[in-house]
Amino acid sequence: MLYLELLIQGIIYGSMYAIIAVGLTLVYGLLRILHVAHAGLFALGGYLGLLITNATGSLLLAMPLAAAGVGLVGMVVYRLCYHPILDRPPYVALIASIGLFIAMEEIYRLVFGPYGLTYNDVPLQSQIAFLGMNLRTAELAIVFGSVILLGTLSYLAQKTRIGVAWKATVDDPQMAASFGIDPLKVRYLNFFIGSGLAAIGGIFISLLSNLVEPTMGGVPSYKALAIIVLGGLGNVTGTLIASLVLGVVEAFGTIYIGHLMDRDAIAFAFLILVLMIRPQGMLSGR
Amino acid sequence: MGIYEVSLATIVLINIILALGLNMITGFCGQISLGHAAFYGIGAYCTAILAKAGFPPAVTLLCGLILAGASGVVVGLASLRVREDFLAITTMGVGFLFLGIVRQQEALGGELGISSIPSAGMSKIGFMLFVLVLAALAAAFSLFIKRSWMGFAFDAVADDEDTARVLGLDVAAYKLSAFAMGTAMAGLAGGLYTYFARFIVPDDFGFITSITVLSMVAVGGIGSVFGVMAATVVLTLMPEFFRFISDYKLLVYGALLFTVMRFAPGGLAGFLQTALRIRKARGETG
Amino acid sequence: MTAILKVSGVTVRFGGIHALDDVSFEVTPGEFVSMIGPNGAGKTTLIRAITGVVQPQSAEIRLSGREISNLPTHKRSRLGLVMTHQIVRPFHSMSVLENVIFAAGHGRIQSVFGAMVSFDLSRERDRAMKLLGLLGIAEMADKSVRGQPLGVIKRMEVARALALEPKLLLLDEPLAGLNHIEAARLADTVADINRRGTTIVMIEHNLGEVLRVSERLVVLDNGRKIADGNPNEVMRNPAVRAAYVGKDETDAAA
Repeated sequence: MLYLELLIQGIIYGSMYAIIAVGLTLVYGLLRILHVAHAGLFALGGYLGLLITNATGSLLLAMPLAAAGVGLVGMVVYRLCYHPILDRPPYVALIASIGLFIAMEEIYRLVFGPYGLTYNDVPLQSQIAFLGMNLRTAELAIVFGSVILLGTLSYLAQKTRIGVAWKATVDDPQMAASFGIDPLKVRYLNFFIGSGLAAIGGIFISLLSNLVEPTMGGVPSYKALAIIVLGGLGNVTGTLIASLVLGVVEAFGTIYIGHLMDRDAIAFAFLILVLMIRPQGMLSGR
Repeated sequence: MGIYEVSLATIVLINIILALGLNMITGFCGQISLGHAAFYGIGAYCTAILAKAGFPPAVTLLCGLILAGASGVVVGLASLRVREDFLAITTMGVGFLFLGIVRQQEALGGELGISSIPSAGMSKIGFMLFVLVLAALAAAFSLFIKRSWMGFAFDAVADDEDTARVLGLDVAAYKLSAFAMGTAMAGLAGGLYTYFARFIVPDDFGFITSITVLSMVAVGGIGSVFGVMAATVVLTLMPEFFRFISDYKLLVYGALLFTVMRFAPGGLAGFLQTALRIRKARGETG
Repeated sequence: MTAILKVSGVTVRFGGIHALDDVSFEVTPGEFVSMIGPNGAGKTTLIRAITGVVQPQSAEIRLSGREISNLPTHKRSRLGLVMTHQIVRPFHSMSVLENVIFAAGHGRIQSVFGAMVSFDLSRERDRAMKLLGLLGIAEMADKSVRGQPLGVIKRMEVARALALEPKLLLLDEPLAGLNHIEAARLADTVADINRRGTTIVMIEHNLGEVLRVSERLVVLDNGRKIADGNPNEVMRNPAVRAAYVGKDETDAAA
């Protein structure tokens, strides 16, 4: 019974990681940038979602609005932050991204206050019996929401013209450009979708903790970075698998080796272990 | 000099040793590290424990330096397996792993850290002068390495390690040396910090510290000894200069980091070089 | 005469595909051997396997009689087996001269501790300048590598390889991308280097230059060796003609 409970916990966290990590891996796959400021967009999603829910009372309205808003901010971040420095060595974009992330956290702190915000009435808290366990609706919503969103995304990537253009650009930017695909449009789309998903991730985590605070983006995003590396950097399927695996490893690890190291350390110990055995990640890149 | 100025000068000098250590790894040898603070922490904890056990500073500092350097070689082994972005995330993981383990250890004080560490047996000014001498040695050592054939070989590894290997360079040995020397310097800085603060907690050695040190190196200009020293002075003192706007100091810090990378990716040293070249070119034509 | 390089039974598979299938050949000291074959024949893979950049599934590689197939690349290079890449790989952060000085200092950088305490580069600078002179690019010495034309960088890479004092120099398409005149000049320089005593194995598509300067041809097709010997005889070999017809006719005509 304990195993099943841990497994479910792992899947819940894993789904949340997946929503955050897919955005990061989309950016990495296209631009080879470790986009740390993704964490800032994740937190912004949490804030927007909470504020809209508190104002309107509707989480269902808040989610798409927050996702679209954060998606637009993501496009602006690309245009102002990354677009001008794409031809520089990778550490330049990395450090610029870290600088941007620190600045974003500070802006949230100054605007929304250091102690964070809470929901007037936290949505989706009713208990549901599931396989003999009591789960919160929010936890189930996270798992099913992630599956639906990522499933839709993968369907669109395969079936629509723009999706095919996007995949072509990721595989071979020059070839795609020679077929008349505008790489800039693809990058904007990429940042819009990735950042929108981060916003959903931010809302999900706030439903579990009933708290949105300036620094909430940090740890999940560092883990998301670990996940995209585990998944083979830029490999979307690998990222999804790695998210679930990491969620489950953390859930079991906290029980069995929690006295040796904390939850975050378990995640990174697992990352290092995997990389030493398979330097190209669990599923190798493209 | 008042006590406040002496303290500031001491912490600036400690940071110089710390940053020059990372400059050895990232600047000279081109191996990005997002976990430098872990070695700073290893030196600090080692020194703290030995100092509380009654050993004199000469012994404790040396042990901190050696332990950090030895750990650096182990992490350096990782740099032989993974490269660039994979290495960045692996070293970030090392940082979180260190923190996560220290937090769970009763013997290391857990979250509360180690307090009432004995003093180094010097006056505040005496200790500052002691650190000054060590910082000068660290700078001299850096310049010495940069000008030697070892520095030449580091340039080659940083530029293109595959070509360096084809030209007969034992790339692995050079990477490990860079990690050993750079992390040993971090260990020394950590030991000095222990005697300076006489109270250490895990968060002193977290991800933010690693990033701060990397910023010093990047803002100074990757690989430039004097640039890194100048940037360390500026970035360490900046929060103090901006105390009158203390609420905004991190915002300014993040924005500065972003701005330097966005507009002068070569850092201070690169910026000066470009400026000099423009003046020189003008002098030749005019 | 004993072979300076004896390669036997080299097999390399990528995934399920045989990139090289049981290839063997020998090179005697002082020879100038050219290796030709259609694109994808496995030429580059073969010299990468010889230098250890690619790990073969099976191979026996002897340099002057010594088995080297278990040594890492940098050790093979120190034994005198040096290669230049098909795609130029200069150190971009250095000047043309510094690229060559670095290679000329290969003795100084063998041991980490030795490298730490040696500073003098005047001897290496002199040797590097001589080599740049031999390759005819002495006047570019202090220029940054960035922005140099391909012809200069290709010559610089040959100088850099020579600075390692190779017993055997492996050149991967040194003439590719050069215009007619540049190619002929570099081919002459390579032939000159060979006359000065360096054994050379050269992969090259430019058959005109290959036939003009080399003493022996080895032909690969589909990962197998299909011919080996005197250039004129090899070119009359029906298997070689079959491999080339319709594939590299323009090159063959050149």
